[in-house]
Amino acid sequence: MKIGIPRGFYFYLYPGLWEVFFREIGMQAVLSGSSSREIVELAAPVSETEHCLAHKLFDGHLLSLRGKVDAVFIPRILSMTKRHICCAKFGALPDASRSILAARMPVIDLEINETKQPLRKTLIRFARKLGAGRRRASDAVSSAIAAMEKTWDDRRRANENLPPRERFLLLGHPYTLGDAFICGPIRRKLTALGVPLESMTFEPRRLAPSPIRWCTFNKMYHKLESLDADRYAGVIQVSTFNCGADSVMIDGFRRMCRERNIPYLVMMVDAHSGMAGIETRLEAFADSLRWKNETAENPHA
Amino acid sequence: MPEKLAIPNLGNYTIALDSAVRAVGIEPWSSTSTSAEAMRLGIAAAPESMCLPFKAHLGHFIEADNAGCAHALMVNSMGTCRLTYYRRLIENILKDMNRTIRVWGLGFDGLKPPVIRYFDPAPLPFIKAVLLALEKIRIIDVLEISAWKTRPRESRRGETSALMRGCLETLAKTNIRRDVKKLKQEFVRVFAGVPLDPKRIPLRIGLVGEVSVLRDKSLNQNTEEILGGLGAEVRNFFLLGAELVNIFGIPLGGSRAHTRKRLVKIARPYLNNPVGGHALDSVAHTLRCAEEGYDGMVHLCPAGCMPEVSIRPILAAISRDKDIPVLELSFDEHTSPVGVATRLEAFTDILKERRQKRMV
Repeated sequence: MKIGIPRGFYFYLYPGLWEVFFREIGMQAVLSGSSSREIVELAAPVSETEHCLAHKLFDGHLLSLRGKVDAVFIPRILSMTKRHICCAKFGALPDASRSILAARMPVIDLEINETKQPLRKTLIRFARKLGAGRRRASDAVSSAIAAMEKTWDDRRRANENLPPRERFLLLGHPYTLGDAFICGPIRRKLTALGVPLESMTFEPRRLAPSPIRWCTFNKMYHKLESLDADRYAGVIQVSTFNCGADSVMIDGFRRMCRERNIPYLVMMVDAHSGMAGIETRLEAFADSLRWKNETAENPHA
Repeated sequence: MPEKLAIPNLGNYTIALDSAVRAVGIEPWSSTSTSAEAMRLGIAAAPESMCLPFKAHLGHFIEADNAGCAHALMVNSMGTCRLTYYRRLIENILKDMNRTIRVWGLGFDGLKPPVIRYFDPAPLPFIKAVLLALEKIRIIDVLEISAWKTRPRESRRGETSALMRGCLETLAKTNIRRDVKKLKQEFVRVFAGVPLDPKRIPLRIGLVGEVSVLRDKSLNQNTEEILGGLGAEVRNFFLLGAELVNIFGIPLGGSRAHTRKRLVKIARPYLNNPVGGHALDSVAHTLRCAEEGYDGMVHLCPAGCMPEVSIRPILAAISRDKDIPVLELSFDEHTSPVGVATRLEAFTDILKERRQKRMV
């Protein structure tokens, strides 16, 4: 059986996990292609107009799988960390997809609520429901979770290899930072500018309490709290147009960075983003930080 | 002089909250719909992509600060929607503006909210105040329902709205519970006295969506009255009395039809999760109205509202499957009153034509 995995949202929230999981229980996982202008245009006429760009891309990926798979997998992710929640829209995602876009595709859903039940147990039950034997289900889940942990480990190691000073921190949701259409151009430009770029990682871990109940934002909050102006030259927040959660969180993050004396830039990406705008803003940001350092070193220059 | 406390905007229900606050010896400051000045202040001070109710709330509090209020109340929640963080954000913004007004959360913050601890009203007057407010809420529910019924049928245009205003004024002035109870009969009687045109058979339209835009006339550009004037009997699915049944199971208004458990069951074929806010309610009520033979639905939501926007595809599917037209209206600070009126007019025209075709 061919299971379609749209390359969006949950694919990035649990990176590396799903392909291995479905393969190990004897199904064929079919991933949609990388995000691109074509995917956006596929979604534009049918996706809900007020969805955020990440949601529209998800819809586009879903459509691109039409006719290529026997069913699509769309989980309902309610919580990824104990006592934390996810974006409100995830609660309706499988039902909303079933309504219009995937009306003629069987949708396999799965409720992931790590406040109620650990991921491992949820996945084992799901594998059993899909027809895997007890032994096979358990093994499949073990290797799937190991694959995800390895993905996060690799990303963390890549960050550790960066120079210790003058780093730029790239903040955003896992599914914006990982997306080729949303974040790809930003990464390429910053790399071309020769800036050491650290991407926020979201490995599963226990979270210290904070005023924020959204787990990804709580992780970002703790990251910013431990941020040190000696090591970080600036923070770039990648946000997608009409993201409800970003709109309320960014104000607080800006305050945190100001208190720590670290420059903070918000890059808002929408479906129409021209590359020139992105490039100009990033160049200006990098330039102004460089000048700031030069004047600090030589105030009379 | 008693301390002044700004009351959040809950549409006509503000009157009930207002009298409760007055009954415990605090001077309330409120309005039943967001003023143009508050809207202007809120838009200027809020982050751009916040939703309209946030801007309305923020503006309301800035206006209250200008009016000399030391304290403000706001509704907060622990749900999945952005509302959880609104109080904190509003506090930060007010602090940046060097405003001294202090914002308190109302409800969902534990058994005894901090605001009650701060003002510490004596227990007996407090209980009396709550009972008075509940009584008033019940009466406002009755008023709203009567207005929906008479407005599309009235012989002289505008009579219902004028009557409604008069009744609300009387209600605001009456502050003894026994007298308030008596008002109920009187209001029912005066509404029964409105001359009606027996020939009209109004369209039936259900209003679902986000609470603030359902309740606040200036946020929804007066949708309820416009529809009434166009000859449609509306049913607005946010009645505070019914909502209290929904949240706390307090049987106010007598009907248990709104309990969360029932709504969850109704929505199940289309939605298996509460999502947040009133998203599930919107889905369940739309399904129910389709069942009950309503002519159409209007879904009101602030632009970018997380829970309500996420169920729009589901409402579209219900509209397709159950053959009930659903008009989507999104509100932000650029929404023009004329635009809303035109769209509602077009919508009711279509519904009338549909009805005629069915009769043939």
